[in-house]
Amino acid sequence: MKNKHVIGVFDKEENLVNAINALNDHKISIEEIYTPYPVHEAIHGLGQKSRFTWVAFFLGLVGAIVVLAFLYYTSVIDWPLNFGGKPSSAFPSFIIITIVTTILIITIGSLFTFSVRAGIYPGKEAILPDERSTDDKFVMMFRQEDDSEQLRKILQENGVEEINEKEL
Amino acid sequence: MYKEAIRGPLILGDKSFRQISADIIQPIDKRPPLWWKAAFGLSLAMLAMGAWAIYRTIFFGIGTWGVNNTVGWGWAIINFVWWIGIGHAGTAFSIFLLVLRQKWRTSINRAAEAMTVFAVMAAALFPALHMGRIWNFFFIFPYPNTRGPLWVNFNSPLFWDFVAITAYLLISVSFWYYGMVPDFATIRDRAKSKIKKAVYGVLAFGWTGSTKEWLRYENLSYVLGGIAAVLVVSVHSIVATDFAVSVIPGWHTTIFPPYFVVGAIFSGFAMVMTLMVIIRKIYKFQEYITDNHMDAIARILIFISLIMASSYLTEILIAWYSGNEYELFTFFHNRITGEYKFMFWAMITCNAIIPQLFWSKKIRRNLWAMFTISVIINIGMWYERFNIVVTSLANDYLPSSWTNYSPTLEEIGIFVGTIGLFIAGILLFFKYIPMMAINELKSVRDSGSKFRKKIEQMKIKEEDLI
Repeated sequence: MKNKHVIGVFDKEENLVNAINALNDHKISIEEIYTPYPVHEAIHGLGQKSRFTWVAFFLGLVGAIVVLAFLYYTSVIDWPLNFGGKPSSAFPSFIIITIVTTILIITIGSLFTFSVRAGIYPGKEAILPDERSTDDKFVMMFRQEDDSEQLRKILQENGVEEINEKEL
Repeated sequence: MYKEAIRGPLILGDKSFRQISADIIQPIDKRPPLWWKAAFGLSLAMLAMGAWAIYRTIFFGIGTWGVNNTVGWGWAIINFVWWIGIGHAGTAFSIFLLVLRQKWRTSINRAAEAMTVFAVMAAALFPALHMGRIWNFFFIFPYPNTRGPLWVNFNSPLFWDFVAITAYLLISVSFWYYGMVPDFATIRDRAKSKIKKAVYGVLAFGWTGSTKEWLRYENLSYVLGGIAAVLVVSVHSIVATDFAVSVIPGWHTTIFPPYFVVGAIFSGFAMVMTLMVIIRKIYKFQEYITDNHMDAIARILIFISLIMASSYLTEILIAWYSGNEYELFTFFHNRITGEYKFMFWAMITCNAIIPQLFWSKKIRRNLWAMFTISVIINIGMWYERFNIVVTSLANDYLPSSWTNYSPTLEEIGIFVGTIGLFIAGILLFFKYIPMMAINELKSVRDSGSKFRKKIEQMKIKEEDLI
């Protein structure tokens, strides 16, 4: 279903950041901000948070346990081989494979998590409020119900370039 | 730490964001120039020679190579270690500098990562062919099988190597690709032709650049950067243990893992420098790859070259100090003065002596000098691997089995083929992929002036910082 949105286009990062602060002071909610590169003030201004590092940590923990268990199962339980009388449970020499494979598991797992949580995957169609936001513009998007005189005034005061309306 | 206030801005000539995108995307929009076509043709010819050599190797076996019972590892392993070494710098460069928040990586990391991907592909070919029966390659995967089920030997460095290289290749490719997604979106939104819009649209995975995406994107790159930094160190350490756990004099030393890692980063950084000179010269990117960028790479090369020189000396010192006669023989009679002394002295000259020229600022500002020295370093690194692999094996404990080694046309052909693969890959990269991370360039455009403003606010003079 398509909804109408109000879209403010900024030319400068400074102006965008000032506008975010002013809007937050007036408790006007911003739906989303599109920038050509990561602007940390925008991310914090929207109150975006991520538990990504925790996901990676647990992937690593689970990965390490699974790999060590696999090595123990294959080399000690399922088919122990005699290497010059050395113990089959050669823990120190399992460590290297464990580290490398855990890193691989974290990588694949985090790429998957990123795809799911950020909604970035092959074949997805990009819906942009303004196509210039991947090039040189900073774009703010508002829900129509948040539209007000005050909102437009704050945007104007902070040097917005254009205010458009678009159905997305 | 690279401070723009002291060492100059990262991007010269007040550029608008639009200008930055236009500059970097411009080689993609243009038709490939004549030199590109000529170079691509040449690389395809080299690949054809490689294909012939691989055909001979697979159909007639390892017997077509010059290796024998005494020298069981020849060019294949030398080239494998050489390529893997080159493949190290990309990720090392990009990730260590990312984790250390070094902003001067922005104009270099993309090309360095591309180099890694193609170099690791070239490297992976050698152990696969060296298996002899490449159609049984899948035996190395640990999976429940009909052979017992007989699992692979998890205590063998050769198997660790397989795991490490596979992981390294996958991680390098994904780190590289995910770095490019926002730039593909930029190309998609700027493109006028429908085909280009569709192709880069698919590659961009629906990227929009919303805060929700950027937040996770940055987290992803720090997580991948942090863990892949471990991998950079471990992959080449594992390659070193292939040698170090044997009982061959000259290989059986504890210095090997760090020595190999440093050597790998050395040859890789040299290759980064070679590539940067080419990109800067041909595509006229001197505003993005500034003199200061080149200077920073050269300084790192001097530093690593000194570590290399001390590693060589340490090896020789320990051989003498240990009093082990086999070590003494290998180092003093076999390497320094023996039949292969040319390789030893070439290694010392190219890796320890010539890079010292970078102490001069004149040389660090001269592109031709930098190009030549960086190529010489990689030649020297190849001699180092030859020195390690062949001299230790050719004259071992049993004088009756001493022999010489020289490569056959098939071995040379495979090496030429991998060079062709590398060049072809780099040329395709020049043509179809933005050579620098456009979004990262935009984010550092103003960092120099921001830094200056902060200093002004804190009322510190710039001179006091030095």
